[in-house]
Amino acid sequence: MDYFIISRARVDSQRDTMINIQFKGIAKHYRRRTILDGVDISLQDSQCTLLCGANGAGKTTLLKIMAGLVRPDSGTLNTGLGEMKWRRCIKALKEKAMYMHQQPYMFDASVRRNIAYALPPMLSHEDRDKRIYEALAWANLEPLATASATSLSGGEVQRVALARAWLRSPSVLLLDEPTTNMDHDARLRTHNLLRQLKDQGMAIVISSHDALQFQSLACRQLLLKDGKISPVNTITQAENVSAFPINPLQQHQQV
Amino acid sequence: MDTLNNATFEAIQLLASGDSELWNIIGISFKVSTTAILIATPPSLLLAFLLAYGNFPGRRLLISVFSTLLSIPAVVVGLTLYLILSRQGPLGDLKLLFTQSAMVLGQIVLCVPILVAMCHSALQAADRRAWETARTLGAGPARAVVTVMHEVRFGLFAALLAAYGRIIAEVGASMMLGGNILNATRNIPTAIALETSKGEFSQGIALGIVLLILAFILNGLLHYFQGKGRFAT
Repeated sequence: MDYFIISRARVDSQRDTMINIQFKGIAKHYRRRTILDGVDISLQDSQCTLLCGANGAGKTTLLKIMAGLVRPDSGTLNTGLGEMKWRRCIKALKEKAMYMHQQPYMFDASVRRNIAYALPPMLSHEDRDKRIYEALAWANLEPLATASATSLSGGEVQRVALARAWLRSPSVLLLDEPTTNMDHDARLRTHNLLRQLKDQGMAIVISSHDALQFQSLACRQLLLKDGKISPVNTITQAENVSAFPINPLQQHQQV
Repeated sequence: MDTLNNATFEAIQLLASGDSELWNIIGISFKVSTTAILIATPPSLLLAFLLAYGNFPGRRLLISVFSTLLSIPAVVVGLTLYLILSRQGPLGDLKLLFTQSAMVLGQIVLCVPILVAMCHSALQAADRRAWETARTLGAGPARAVVTVMHEVRFGLFAALLAAYGRIIAEVGASMMLGGNILNATRNIPTAIALETSKGEFSQGIALGIVLLILAFILNGLLHYFQGKGRFAT
């Protein structure tokens, strides 16, 4: 299958050449329940991190905090300008990071308009059209340019969302279960696009139950359990912990 | 039955003949209600958005207050504003009583709770991912607010129509604050009330026809946009 690989020199020049973002002591509570309990995580350019954890472990909350969409109860952030309190760096974080929902939201507009949303509003018409065309070509979405984005299949929606990410070109891309309910072909396309984004220097964090699926893409795996984050040595370990409900025997074996 | 038939026939004749008094009343009605809705809509939308997406002390209380105010009688609004705007009232010096400005004020007070409550419901029902997606794609707060509102535009438009329908047809506040003065503050509902009390049914029916046509046009517009304007390329 042909995929378009378009030069990213322009976009790369806009992005920081070196990404080094460090989150420290991230804590979040919901109604007396501890979701995150002092999570430390650092992100570097071209690094793909696989975040594992059982349902309700707090993966989505952590990704949203890292995208600046949810404010943690405590924690600091270092984007290269020294350690700062959350309130002071939230704007910088929103500029650097982009979050993609498990089922990306499509605005009630055409595919073209959905992609165009990722562009700065002040861009000239010519530049806007050119960049939208590039993004459509990159994600192989040209035939769907004028289709309603709300009537697309799951795989197509994911490609539109990735095209928006490609166009926005954040330093950090945070994906929440990006290939859930996708068929084999759609997964392959998504993997291919994610690989291109990673090769362009983006730091990618993927939350997924299926560690094996992202084995070739991820540089490291982290496990989120009981509000704490820890590195996972083997894929099997990540799978055991995250993929299915744990029976008492499995739990005993893990300990 | 003959009386109704004759009055309706005369009403249509009045409308068709371009009776200046009749069309003047219609003009005042539209002018006052349109001004009121134009003034009330922006702050109401903003307030509805804050109530739907904000997290501040007293938010739930405010929602309850606006829901309660939905059923406030127009005469109570009229009476309260009458006391405030009358010579002895705190705003008596402004000399607004029995002017179109007082009517606009009364209609704003009447339509704000409808706009806030209905827009809040529409925004509350909006998918939260719309706001998060807009923000994560680099939109500032203002652009994200506009985006979310665009996503629920039909709900907001319905709120606007409901509010406009309420104020253009209300009698109590307009009668008390405007005084039903011919060529100055007499609008469609106060004129219908007056003409009916005089036994002049034809003008009342003519004005009623105008209100019905207006309601039909507004609802037709809503359905048209809902059907045709699902998305734009």
